[in-house]
This record gives sequence, structure tokens and C-alpha cells, in this order.
Amino acid sequence: MLENSENQAAVGATTGQSQRETLIREISADIKRLSAFSNRGLWAVSLFLLVSMMAWRNFPLLPLPDRVTALLGAPPPPGMISLVLLLYTFSAIILSLSRMMAAIEHKSSFCHVGYLTAFFLFYHFAKALDDNYWAVFGAGITILSVESYRIWNYCRENISRKQEQLEFVKKNGRMPVEE
Amino acid sequence: MFKSLAGRALVPVGIAVTGFVVVCFLLLYSAIKTIVDRDSAVNATNLADTVLKSARYAMLKNDKDILTTIIHNIGQQKGVEHIRIFDKKGVINISTRNEELNRQVDKTADGCIICHAGQVPMTTLGKMEQVRIFKNGQGSDVISITAPIYNEPECSNASCHVHPAGQKVLGTLDIGLSREALLHSLASIRIQMITFTLMILVLTVGGVTALLLRSVFQPLQKLSKLALQAENSELPATPPAHFPRELDRIAQSLYKLSQKSGSASSRSKTPGRDVDLPK
Repeated sequence: MLENSENQAAVGATTGQSQRETLIREISADIKRLSAFSNRGLWAVSLFLLVSMMAWRNFPLLPLPDRVTALLGAPPPPGMISLVLLLYTFSAIILSLSRMMAAIEHKSSFCHVGYLTAFFLFYHFAKALDDNYWAVFGAGITILSVESYRIWNYCRENISRKQEQLEFVKKNGRMPVEE
Repeated sequence: MFKSLAGRALVPVGIAVTGFVVVCFLLLYSAIKTIVDRDSAVNATNLADTVLKSARYAMLKNDKDILTTIIHNIGQQKGVEHIRIFDKKGVINISTRNEELNRQVDKTADGCIICHAGQVPMTTLGKMEQVRIFKNGQGSDVISITAPIYNEPECSNASCHVHPAGQKVLGTLDIGLSREALLHSLASIRIQMITFTLMILVLTVGGVTALLLRSVFQPLQKLSKLALQAENSELPATPPAHFPRELDRIAQSLYKLSQKSGSASSRSKTPGRDVDLPK
């Protein structure tokens, strides 16, 4: 009987130890993932700067606007592209600030690089890129800066929370009670 | 900066407002520039039509002296950089610049390549396609209109210098106008818009910062000081006042807490206190 209870205690201790190790591993993996994720905004900004450099040189790798418009038809007028750019910038900033307020993890930075590249291309094919280059560049830098800040802030808060959890698990072998 | 509440609250709002206002300014300026450019092109095209109509009778009569006088008189007008008429082969027959006379025009030049890109040159052009903008030899910006002089029944039937009826274009009028006044106006608009943009930015970002500092961050700093005093059992010199309603409740609680802990600590330090305590 005594031997049996000793066995149970030993098994319980082993299970507790393995549970603690599992939790530590999971939390450490989360911290690592969040650290990598916090740089996502900066990667998106770098990619956007690369696209902007190509746009500044009038997209040397793409066919000439006349050849593309001959294939696809006339592009929308520059005034309409500008209107859509304005609405897009407004919506993107509002969306980003809302996500910041609600502390939502959302991986949207690279989508914005895609949308902004589309604006560069539309202006390029409408032969209005010279007049509107800085507007797209300014919109891109603003949206991506707010997004980078949101992602970085979200990750930093969660990393510090995870580090506190990690300390608690190392001491007590279980997760702390959530607020 | 990013650890404080002020930094966290103000940085994203500052970036978003500044960026959006700058984008609005750039798009608005681009739209104004497009409208001004289009209007100046329309005015230049109308001027080219006026020149052609003024010179029509002289051309019909093949009176080169009158035609040259008309072109020279219009060329002396302020803002007109050049006027030239060249024939179908591209040889300049009349020009406000005498050194250009009887010279062949380069068909691959900016204004000519639009029609002469293909093997057969185009005979009709849209209004905006007739316009080209470039810097001339003196380095000043010029808007130039190339208007074709079409063959008319009066030209092909005239007894003096008959053109064949099948020839659609007899020659071309090229008129260049200075963009100096236009660029000056655009620069003036740009300066005014930059000034307004800066004023809007200072008002919005500065206003929000000032209001948040005054209404939120300074009271929070005072609360933090009160909490520290309560923690160290120190009684504040004066009761907390002038807090916003939401924070006033916390400030009063902290003040009462520091009062209680202060009196408790002073009682425990009073000599003979233990004697009075009930056993």
C-alpha cells in the first residue's frame, strides 16, 4: 500500500515536471515567434522602399505604358486613382488605429505593400506617376509606419506578459491565473 | 519615449494625422497642377487657332510679306517664345527667329515624333496630343502647340499656287508660349498650401498633445505622486484638488489612505502608547 502511494507520488512528480517543461517550451516558442513577428513591419517598409525605387525609375523591368494600355485598354483617369488613394489611406489608418485599440494580432503589412504597388502601377500606366509619386510614397510611409508601430507595440506587450508567465511557471510549475 | 503613456498615446496619432495631411496636400497640389496645365494647353491651342485664322487670308493669297508681318507681330507679344510655320517636308518657311529660316525640322524631336512615329505620318491629332512641354535653349519652360494647316477647297482650287486636292496637310504651325507666369503661380499656390498644411498640423497635433498633457498626463503624474506618498505613509501638504471627475475619486481615496497610514504610524511612534492599549 505504502509502495503504491510512493509510486503514485513519483508518477505525479514526473507528470508535473513534464507539464512544467511543456509549458516552458510553449511560452519560449511564443516569445520567439513574437520577437520574429515584431520585425514584420520593418520588412514591409523595406519592401515598399524597394518598390518605390523601381517606381522612381519608371519601372524599368516592365513594358512601356503604351504597350500595356494597347493590350488591356485605357487606364482609369489619374483623378479617380487619386480619389481611391485618398479613401484607401484614410481607411487603412482608421483600421490600423482600431486594431491597435483592440490589441488584435493581424498580419496585414505586406497586403498594404501590394495595394501601394498597385497604385504606383496604375499611375505609371496612366502616365501620371511623375505628378503623384510623392503622394503614394507619403501614403505608404504613413500607413506602414502606423502598422509597424502597432505590430511592434503588440509584440512588446505580449513578450513582457509571456516573460512574466515564464517566470511564474518556472517557480510554480503552472500557469498564472488570467486577469 | 514609447514606455510612457504620453508616448504610446501620441506617437501613433501624430504619425497618422501628419501623414494623412501631407498625402492630402500632395494629391490636392497634383490635382491643381493638372487643371492649370490643362487650362494653359487649351489657351495655347485657342491661340494657335486664332493665329491660323488670322493668317488664313494671307496664305490663301500666297502673300508671304503679310504672313511674315502677322507672325512677327504676334511673336512680339509678351509670353510668346516662338512661332514658326513649316511646310509638308518640314522646312521652316516663316519664323519669328530669322536664324531658323529654311532649316529642316528634326522629325524625331519631341513635338514631331507624335505624328511621325510610324511609316505614314498621322494627319489628325487630339487637342492634348498637340501639346508638348519642354525646356528651350535658354533653359526656360515652354508649352508648345503643333497645329496642322489643312488643305481646303479654296487652297486646291486657287489659281495662284494650286495644291493637289488629295494632299490633306499643307504644313504645320508651331507656337511656343512661356510657362514662366504659370510656374510662378504654381509656386505661389505651393507655398500657400505648405503654410496652411503646417498650420493645420501644428493646430491638430499640438492641440491634441496640449489637451492630453493638461487633462490626462499631468493629473496622472500627480496621482502617481500621491500613490508614492501613501506607500511611504507621508501626508500630502494639501488635499488633492483640480482633478478631472474620473480621477478625483482615486485622488481622494489615495489622500485618505495616506492620512490613515500617516496617523497609524504616528500613533505607533508615540511613547507610552502601549500603556493605553487594552490587554
